[in-house]
Amino acid sequence: MLGIRLARRETRLPGGQVLAILIGLVIALVLGAILLTATGHSAGEVYAEMFDSALGSRRGWSATLTRAVPLGLAGLAVAVAGSMGMWNIGAEGQIIAGAIGAAWVARLIPGVPGPALIPLMLIGGVLGGAVLALGPAWARSQLGVNEIITTLMLNEVAIRIVRFLVNGPWKDPEGNNFPVAPELPEQAALPILFERAHIGVIIAAVVVIGFGVWSSRSKWGYELRIAGSSAQAAEYVGISLRTKVFTVLLLSGAIAGLAGGIELTGNSSRIVEGVANGFGFAGIIVAALALMRPSGVAAVAVAFGAVQIGGEAIQTTGVPPSISNVLQALILFGALTAAVFTEYRFVRAGQSAGAVEAATS
Amino acid sequence: MNETTIIGLLVSVIEFGTLLYLAALGETIAERAGVLNLGVEGMMAMGGMTAFWVGVETGNPWAALIAAVIVGGAFAMIHGLVAVVLGADQVVSGLALTIFGLGLSAFLGRDLIVERPNATFEPVRVGPLSDIPWLGDTIFSMTAVSWLAIILGVITWFVFTRTRAGLALRAVGESAATADAAGTSVVKIRLLAVAIGGFLAGASGAFLTIVLAPGWTEGTTAGRGWIAVALVIFGAWKPGRVLGGSLLFGGLIALEPRLQTFGVEISPILLSMLPFVLTIVVLVLFSIRSRNRPSVAPAAIGHAYRREER
Repeated sequence: MLGIRLARRETRLPGGQVLAILIGLVIALVLGAILLTATGHSAGEVYAEMFDSALGSRRGWSATLTRAVPLGLAGLAVAVAGSMGMWNIGAEGQIIAGAIGAAWVARLIPGVPGPALIPLMLIGGVLGGAVLALGPAWARSQLGVNEIITTLMLNEVAIRIVRFLVNGPWKDPEGNNFPVAPELPEQAALPILFERAHIGVIIAAVVVIGFGVWSSRSKWGYELRIAGSSAQAAEYVGISLRTKVFTVLLLSGAIAGLAGGIELTGNSSRIVEGVANGFGFAGIIVAALALMRPSGVAAVAVAFGAVQIGGEAIQTTGVPPSISNVLQALILFGALTAAVFTEYRFVRAGQSAGAVEAATS
Repeated sequence: MNETTIIGLLVSVIEFGTLLYLAALGETIAERAGVLNLGVEGMMAMGGMTAFWVGVETGNPWAALIAAVIVGGAFAMIHGLVAVVLGADQVVSGLALTIFGLGLSAFLGRDLIVERPNATFEPVRVGPLSDIPWLGDTIFSMTAVSWLAIILGVITWFVFTRTRAGLALRAVGESAATADAAGTSVVKIRLLAVAIGGFLAGASGAFLTIVLAPGWTEGTTAGRGWIAVALVIFGAWKPGRVLGGSLLFGGLIALEPRLQTFGVEISPILLSMLPFVLTIVVLVLFSIRSRNRPSVAPAAIGHAYRREER
């Protein structure tokens, strides 16, 4: 045997998760530097360029914050389900469904002025996301069907629905036979906040922080945490688990759908197949790093937004933009590894954790 | 519709079936040991990129396949370290593995340029058997990789149902604590199962980039890894049923570009949703069925095992 093993700490190391994320970041940057150097790039220059274009100017910040919008909302969607011990792996699909819902509204009432059209489109987005989550929510709450798999499968279904729409019913007759939908009406674009940032930044901040505050103060949020920590305790105090599971998964889908609506109105002139762009999957990493806490989601989303914007900006220097996906995954692996030691410590085999505590105190 | 079109379809069914079965069989083995690995798509992409690269460099399909198998296994070991040894959440770790694999294969594979024809596996002609009408041009003209997939499926079935090792693996997947108490090394078995899953996902990627669709571009796996994850459930975690499912889903993929030829007025895009929709339906049926009976899924799936918490 190895002679050492892991034993649980009596309490989680305070501030441990922040430390774990920072360690993860360092590990990712070191491994990324090795990868960059091995492929003939100057790691120092690439990192400096990434940092500069994402966080070095007002314009950079505007792009980073705008990117944090779908990441933060998708992260919140995952965190809402996660705080009850469930995995919504379907945020990617729900973002697409949200974009479809918003685009649909714009198709139905294209002549409505912007101040009315945009809110209606965002509602369309919320409903779209919720509709895609409806099946998994019902199946999980009524039949106990594993929501991980159902939400995962629906991602692939949603991708094909939008592909079908832009290749068929929604195909632009004036698009030179390209599989694209017609452009949205001009007034459907979200107003600009500063530089490249649109007001989606404020909407997302209000939703993420507002949800955090509300769930920490309300009876609903309290019940959510009880249900998340122990199903038996929840039933004992009279919380209906079925209703809770159903509403939480539906809410999760609705939040991801809002992200899709904002992406459509804020960042594109028409709905395209790649509207979700991996944000739903990245949101899962964001939520996991944030330990399912809304305040953490906001912070991690901005950090990941910076990594993504930096990665896209260095394309011009010949570095493949996929470096940002590599870095994001490495941050998570590094942080997951480091986080283990916030909850566990090494002890010699044969000793119980308690014996060590006694011996060292 | 003539004989040539139908044989063309059947060959395509076998090829897509092979692609899916290799990855799905590996995931079946990992999940039967209690480890959900959602990194299949990423391991497949890394295997595919590696195989294409080595194939172009060496001209040897076996070298390409073996390299892909090794890379797939190495990638799986990241999941093994994080989710099995350290006990982090399997869902998060697996998804991150997919993001990592797709990202790294795109990063490293961007500048791969074909300077000469890539290595490929030729059809294996089985003497006079290959002259039999229909069968000769389909089953008895398969590549060695398809034969390998079938043989591995039979071996897996045999090990699962007839050997002590298979019993231990299933015990670990059903109840890790019980298996541990019985003297089985939970971590070792789970690591081995995850590694095999990676080997096979890598092989699947190799089959994609050197036989099925020779070449490498970012996004070439096109969600096939997710179909493999779906297949494990569709096939009820049984090697034989997963093979049937692979041929069915492979058949659906093979039909996509041929629908028009067959005069069917359905969008091939809608057809491509079917594997995922069918898997959800099957999963719901399992849930209804298992109300009064033990669950079809391995009971310990998704749960990390740490000895002092049993």
